[in-house]
Amino acid sequence: MYEIKICHLYPDLLNLYGDYGNIQALVRRLEWRGINVSVHPISIGDPFLPDAYDIVFMGGGPTNEQEILHKDLLGLKKAPLIEAVENDTVFLCICGGYQLMGQYYKLSDGTELECLGAMNHWTIDHEKRMTGNLIFEIEGLKQHPDSLVVGFENHSGKTYLGDGVLPLGKVLYGKGNNGEDGYEGARYRNVYCSYSHGSLLPKNPGLTDEIITLAIKRKYKDFVSLQPLNDHIETAARENLIKRFLNTPNSPK
Amino acid sequence: MKKLINKIRFFTALYLGKCAIYLLRFTGSGGTSFPGKLAMTICPDILRELGAKYRIFMVTGTNGKTTTARIMEQILQENRIKYISNKSGANLISGLITTLISDVKLNASPTSPTALLEVDEAAFRLSSKHIHPAVLVVTNFFRDQLDRYGELYNTLNVVKEGILNNPETTLVLNGDDSLCASLGKDVPNPVVYYGMDELAVPEDNNRTMSSINNDASYCLYCKTKYEYQYYSYGHLGYFKCPNCGYERPELTANVVRIPAMTSEFSTVVISTPSGVFEANINLPGLYNIYNALSAVAFAEVLGFSHKKTIEALSSFESGFGRMESISLGENNIQVILIKNPTGFSQVLKYLSSVYNSSVICFMINDNIADGRDISWLYDVDFEPLKNMQDNVSQIYVSGTRAEDMAVRLKYAGIFTDHVSIEKDAQNMLDFALDTLKPGETLFILPTYTALLDIRKILKKRFKLKNFWQ
Repeated sequence: MYEIKICHLYPDLLNLYGDYGNIQALVRRLEWRGINVSVHPISIGDPFLPDAYDIVFMGGGPTNEQEILHKDLLGLKKAPLIEAVENDTVFLCICGGYQLMGQYYKLSDGTELECLGAMNHWTIDHEKRMTGNLIFEIEGLKQHPDSLVVGFENHSGKTYLGDGVLPLGKVLYGKGNNGEDGYEGARYRNVYCSYSHGSLLPKNPGLTDEIITLAIKRKYKDFVSLQPLNDHIETAARENLIKRFLNTPNSPK
Repeated sequence: MKKLINKIRFFTALYLGKCAIYLLRFTGSGGTSFPGKLAMTICPDILRELGAKYRIFMVTGTNGKTTTARIMEQILQENRIKYISNKSGANLISGLITTLISDVKLNASPTSPTALLEVDEAAFRLSSKHIHPAVLVVTNFFRDQLDRYGELYNTLNVVKEGILNNPETTLVLNGDDSLCASLGKDVPNPVVYYGMDELAVPEDNNRTMSSINNDASYCLYCKTKYEYQYYSYGHLGYFKCPNCGYERPELTANVVRIPAMTSEFSTVVISTPSGVFEANINLPGLYNIYNALSAVAFAEVLGFSHKKTIEALSSFESGFGRMESISLGENNIQVILIKNPTGFSQVLKYLSSVYNSSVICFMINDNIADGRDISWLYDVDFEPLKNMQDNVSQIYVSGTRAEDMAVRLKYAGIFTDHVSIEKDAQNMLDFALDTLKPGETLFILPTYTALLDIRKILKKRFKLKNFWQ
């Protein structure tokens, strides 16, 4: 029987925008297919073992909470986290978690806060918050009916991608990474990063299943594909917003 | 000359404001903020001028403002104190001004010299420069609509700033909330704290979700993880920082025991410096015990007798959309406002204490007043609903985000065949009333603007009171 282990990084600190929903979506969609799944909360002082998990999730948190974990993340956990990324462990990092995976976060006074450096992107603080509904298209999900991903963004940092890092998708509605280049999120090896919470995964089962498939395939070489599920409620929720915010349903402007 | 102009300006603002109130009430629309807005445009100083004429009691905080204000009102009534209040929950600056304008006579003297005002946290900071409450009750701080208010610490700081403008105000603070209690540290104000003793806290407290979504698990001052002797709900409880020693302060009003918690009321034993007494609280739910307790602490500050307080606790009427009940012979409709994760979780916990079968309607809108971001639904603990689902014959989801709510329920493990999406409020109510079997209760849980919608419909059908009354 297949078994997937999920690591929830700093669940007591990074849990701002319904991030728990992402964990729940992963767990349920694995369970509904009869795949064993366990969730392991790892927080301050807990060691992170690079080979122990199949999926690592890191969400966003308030500034104050991010300060609390900064030392722990860059100390004890930095090397094993980078090792896990380089070993193709599947990661999902949202908002603050996304920013923390990059090189640095530059504050408005010019101070650069060091980040994990697991990926080549960086974030610059911006006066005007980017808050609102967010719709973007993920190229690789085209074969699914749900290549359009729907969420909500709320961030003041503008993120820019360097060499080796690809955007996760193309913004159709909202701001995305920086409101300038039309891209949203980041992809590097098996790491998925996004500014979209809301939560991201429950309403976007195509993306959830892609992440799950990747994790199972990495662990079990004989695995072919996931059994399809009835997603009509999720599809209705997504289409409701696509209709509301894009002129024609299902076809980008 | 300048004085005269100011006077003319003040009275013009006052009279036009009064006219606007009468006109809006006459047309049946209520208008609890427009008259204030109008008066403020004409006379920017009107809040200060009017406020100076009143003894003011204020309530702020994330959850429980309206209910707490209702209990405090009842306490004032029992003690035969004439007061004016912003009953409809119009708790922004414009609402406060409208309330005062509606009370003053044509010569600008107050009809009721006491004002009891519920105030939004950000509006409190604004108002604090103009009006100075004798007593400020703060209920609690929980994460709220993040796209509107920003992070929780901002909200806390906003209230802190407001308090700095009012060093003489007596503060009535929730001692079990490490964030709220911090407002009483290092300020010259007189402070009393209220909270709950360990023996009073219900044993079955489910910590699964609250331990994950805790709004304040690390010390506000030194960022060390708090150690808790016990939790009551959310991050409320006996907290202590093992590093800097910041801990739950000594309480002036505390619940020592809860002999009964039913689906209609709670019985509590409360201890104050003037003695111990038992009282029935006219609303169910642990969070309403906190609301009642803050009002008890308020009564203690004013030196009211326990007898009058006990009367008030057992007789107050719940506020606008706060567990309002409509009796329909064999059935009952109950409307409970939901607006943030902790409040919603507590409401679900309350529902699980109701033993008869029910139909539940969730109405989720994403207008600005509701918060455009609905991610907070994922911070709600649906475990109580999951455990009671055999007792729920049908669930309806409605509002602009009906489908999102259906997805949320699905991922919470609620049977999807129990859930019907009915976006239109009128249709939803018709279907829900049709499904209702004899003896069942219909629970309607709307977000703020959905509450306005459903209340309009219910009012037409069942002749409810106007909300500003």
